[in-house]
Amino acid sequence: MKKIFLMLSCSAVILLAQDFNAPMKAYMNELEKEAKAQDASFERFDAKRGESIFTSQHIGKKAQEMSCTTCHKSDLKATGLNVNTNKTIAPLAPSANAQRLTDVEEVQKWLRRNFNDVYNREGSALEKGDVLTYLINQ
Amino acid sequence: MKRIILSCLVLASMSWAKNVPAATDALYQKECASCHFGYQPALLNASGWQKVMGSLKDHFGTDASLSQKEHDAIVTYVTQNAGNSKLTQGNTTMRISQSPYFIKEHRRIPERLIDQPEVKSLSQCAACHTKAEQGDYSERTIVIPNYGRWE
Ligand code: HEC
Ligand code: HEC
Ligand code: HEC
Repeated sequence: MKKIFLMLSCSAVILLAQDFNAPMKAYMNELEKEAKAQDASFERFDAKRGESIFTSQHIGKKAQEMSCTTCHKSDLKATGLNVNTNKTIAPLAPSANAQRLTDVEEVQKWLRRNFNDVYNREGSALEKGDVLTYLINQ
Repeated sequence: MKRIILSCLVLASMSWAKNVPAATDALYQKECASCHFGYQPALLNASGWQKVMGSLKDHFGTDASLSQKEHDAIVTYVTQNAGNSKLTQGNTTMRISQSPYFIKEHRRIPERLIDQPEVKSLSQCAACHTKAEQGDYSERTIVIPNYGRWE
């Protein structure tokens, strides 16, 4: 009985967890290869590291302290606000906005731009993989 | 007859300032209206657009860079539809809001109505021009937040 229960709850977890579509999976595999090539001790992407990449403050492109949550908010299911222009941003969490993290080119473009805005440099393969692993589960 | 044609021409050249063709290009809307309202190409002259498109990596303090293919398509669209009117004359910058005519038209608006959170800056055309999306900047469509109609 216990075993069946365990199996059932496992499959429920699998069903609940968000997953990347095929093109995004291929992109994640690419990032993984790149991360491994840059650091032999790399094991796997980590949502916890991704969360701190997303929430920590940095001196950005405008020489001001900011974080990813400056525009996307701490609650990723909520509507964000572009602080530079006052325009609202639809929620970033895939559970609240099914369009998110489905188009590789769109994801690459915004990660490039947004890392430059917040970190004043592009993200590494490890950082991009970690942050996407964090975001897909939101 | 000549007079009538002439006054028609004068009228036409005056009405430009209130109406510009809407920015209907789908790629332009996707790429250039994601952070702000999609400024119509006729609001800026061709040399202004060249400057904007040549510096997207550092676009007014933010990174708005594009892939080469999209960049090239948008350069063609904005320069081919660039403005050549009172509004764009003498503008050597890459800001619509820095054109001499624009500055003159907006100089009577009190600062507190511009830097309030609902507007933020004169770059946010659609905050006051309620039909900006359609390219209509006529006075009767202006409603300034926390102030009301301008007319
Ligand atoms: C200056 C405001 C701003 C900041 C700061 C910011 N973003 Fe964004 N982000 C945007 C905008 C604007 C979009 C695109 C608008 C839209 O699609 O609704 C976007 C889109 C994205 C997307 C695309 C999602 C998709 O599939 O559509 C991702 C991923 C993303 N941001 C991640 C990040 C990360 C990671 C950071 C921190 C390094 C960050 N953002 C910081 C404004 C910002
Ligand atoms: C990543 C966000 C972002 C994207 C994408 C973006 N812009 Fe901007 N744009 C800004 C910001 C920020 C400003 C400055 C707003 C301010 O000063 O209030 C601005 C201002 C402008 C202005 C000047 C407005 C004025 O004051 O007259 C023009 C023109 C402009 N953008 C054109 C474009 C074009 C064309 C594209 C597409 C190729 C584009 N923008 C894409 C963020 C963006
Ligand atoms: C704070 C509100 C506000 C913002 C933001 C704003 N405008 Fe205006 N605009 C006005 C007002 C008010 C007038 C009328 C001024 C007058 O006649 O005294 C005006 C006049 C104009 C006119 C002249 C219309 C005519 O009747 O000839 C044009 C064109 C125009 N604005 C374009 C723009 C563009 C383009 C932007 C964005 C780059 C913009 N405005 C941003 C408030 C605003």
